[in-house]
Amino acid sequence: MATAHIAEEIDRAAALETAAMAGETEARAPYDEMHAPDGSVRPHFAIMARRLAALGPGELDERQRTLERFFLLQGITFTVYGAESSTERIIPTDLLPRIIPADEWSRIEAGLVQRLQALNLFLADIYGERMILKDGVVPRELVLGAPSYRREMQGLYVPHQAYANVCGSDLIRQEDGEYAVLEDNLRVPSGVSYMLANREASKRTFPGTFRLAGVRQIDRYPDLLLSTLRSMAEWRPNPQVVVLTPGVYNSAYYEHAYLARLMGAPLVEGRDLVVHDNMVYMRTTTGLRRIDVIYRRVDDDFIDPLTFRRDSSLGVPGLFNAYRAGTVVMCNAPGTGVADDKAVYAYVPAIIRYYLGEEPILPNIETFLCREPAQLSHVLANLDKLVVKAVGASGGYGMLIGPHASAAQREEFAQALKADPANYIAQPTIQLSTAPCLIDGEVDSRHVDLRPFILSGDKITVTPGALTRVALRKGSLVVNSSQGGGSKDTWVLAGPGDDLS
Amino acid sequence: MMLARVADSLYWIGRYVERAEHVARLADVMLTATLDRAETAAQVARIALSAVGEATPEKIATPFESARALALDRMDGSSVVSSLALARENARQVRDQITSETWERLNLVHLRLSGSGANKSFNDGSSAFLHDIIADLHLFKGAADATMSHGEGWRFLLLGAHLERAQLIGRLLEVCFGRGGERLDHSTLTAVLRMSCALEPYLRVYTADVRARPILEFLLLNPEFPRSVRFSTDEIEAHLSVLSRHTEAVHVGPGRLAGRLKARLQYADMAEIERDGSHVFLAGVLTECGSIHSGVYDAFVAYPLEMRLPA
Repeated sequence: MATAHIAEEIDRAAALETAAMAGETEARAPYDEMHAPDGSVRPHFAIMARRLAALGPGELDERQRTLERFFLLQGITFTVYGAESSTERIIPTDLLPRIIPADEWSRIEAGLVQRLQALNLFLADIYGERMILKDGVVPRELVLGAPSYRREMQGLYVPHQAYANVCGSDLIRQEDGEYAVLEDNLRVPSGVSYMLANREASKRTFPGTFRLAGVRQIDRYPDLLLSTLRSMAEWRPNPQVVVLTPGVYNSAYYEHAYLARLMGAPLVEGRDLVVHDNMVYMRTTTGLRRIDVIYRRVDDDFIDPLTFRRDSSLGVPGLFNAYRAGTVVMCNAPGTGVADDKAVYAYVPAIIRYYLGEEPILPNIETFLCREPAQLSHVLANLDKLVVKAVGASGGYGMLIGPHASAAQREEFAQALKADPANYIAQPTIQLSTAPCLIDGEVDSRHVDLRPFILSGDKITVTPGALTRVALRKGSLVVNSSQGGGSKDTWVLAGPGDDLS
Repeated sequence: MMLARVADSLYWIGRYVERAEHVARLADVMLTATLDRAETAAQVARIALSAVGEATPEKIATPFESARALALDRMDGSSVVSSLALARENARQVRDQITSETWERLNLVHLRLSGSGANKSFNDGSSAFLHDIIADLHLFKGAADATMSHGEGWRFLLLGAHLERAQLIGRLLEVCFGRGGERLDHSTLTAVLRMSCALEPYLRVYTADVRARPILEFLLLNPEFPRSVRFSTDEIEAHLSVLSRHTEAVHVGPGRLAGRLKARLQYADMAEIERDGSHVFLAGVLTECGSIHSGVYDAFVAYPLEMRLPA
């Protein structure tokens, strides 16, 4: 997969993060993944610490170079397009795995399942009876006015009420060590190919340690993805699944091809598909062949020029009508973005309580909705401590990083907030936890976050692993690859009851 | 069954890799010939340059620069670096269809050629550089053969390779033995055999009797030498007959054309060919190859949808 921007979808989340994390002057120390406050190595990191101590000088560097060659050869690269020629770079990958003990993972897993369950129910409700709006739990205009709300989805049947079949949530670890959800990515989340490629790399680098530590396997992901997709078309005996990519110039193209290859599903582009009589076909060498499930890696806006953006050449004319007619399933369903909207995010704990009658297992980051007068006045009074974000904007635009802003900038934002409070949210600045990384041949600590991948079809499964994104610049809290971010493998250790796979 | 676009890409990977290998070999032979007498060197350069493009007097006079351009000039669409960039771009688009082993070989040679060190490597040792590229491309073909399923995709890859090869060798023969061809001396004829990678196999059949007529016969009609036009045509026909099995009877166009061309070469007679002029025969072969190419598109890739919609 690719991009000078590890993938826009990943970055979309990171924009909020950038905002939340930019308060580098915060007094509280970040949580250290490897060392306890007294300087001792945490038990689950002990094996890795011993291995690191035993390595000779330069040995790690040597392994890093081997790894980079491996990535280059495999074409796990992103292309930087220049005026004269384009060059390919490998994704910055850190050798040292981040390690998560079994008990922490089981809590994360339970929390993610709970959250996705609730969000799927929320989507089914929003595009159905809208009970949650009628009961006043979530403000009506917040949902129905969101740009990601798709009127066209109203009243459509979605098998198993699984709207977000693939979800990649972004978690961070707060100063007290507690995991919290920073953002839910329910549209077309990417990064899973990095998770799998990083695992290949760390197995090669630390084979012995890997075995000793008892790391849970993640290589069934493609298999699970395929069965999740198939479960969405159970009425067909042997459903034909395809992966729909925007094409080779998309930053995540490598990932699309990778998943298609590992699932054994054709990788199609919009131009390969034809809709006839509300059925979707692909053009093959022997004629047209019907398809049943589309794992689409094309954004809502671009999937069908007849229904959504007319200028899209990536989509398939008539696809949405075929979807409406129920002859084909799209995964994820269109319109899931309304549930990962920045303002709706603040209501996710309430959404969990509403549908499941449970307390959220994984907390949100504290979020102030400026639409609420009381919260607005709190935000205005604490502009120098908070990060303020425009709800509709992404990519770091329309954002105020309070602790770093000048008085004039804060004043400017205060005016904007008062003029249109519903358009803003604010969050406190939080330190990301730190993990050991290999920097210039030395082990040093850097800030990290965590993106696990959750699949939902006839059931919800969380793959025991994740993409850990790293801010490779010292002190930086920005994990976006466009700004010096990289990634590393994540080892989830097996507990007493866990099968490694 | 495979996506039409994917078949198209695999077909072009085959073509581009074959072209890259051929051009690299021509450049290498051209450089080696500069060690020979001046007239021979010029004759060889003219043949090599005409076979893949245009032979201007300036280009013939500067064989080293011309060879470097054939290998590394990005602005020239038929240079080795351009062909491999296109092959690799096509491979990237069908990355899910080719094995990692096959992809790695192609990616590696592409990276080597397009990297910043390529120019220096060429200047430091042009012959070794070109030799390595050809060897790498053989590894690519070997990896494809040894690791890819010998199914539809593999057949499109080979179909492209053999069609390209038949056209490249046909064009080379046209330049050497076509209308208005000058008399070629012994060194030049040997160079022509080298350009087709045919020297050793030729000597085995005809011994050291290096003359124009048997060379034409060998490169055009030999049933066993893998670069003869006949051999490639046999392969094209064999792949097309399998590929056409799953298309309806109305779409057998390219298979029929290939079968006819195969028969023409199979039952050809050198005396007859010479009587009518070898240029006539060669032109006919090249036209047929062009028709097969269009036929492949009409049958497998760019067919009209109306004919294939379910009733």
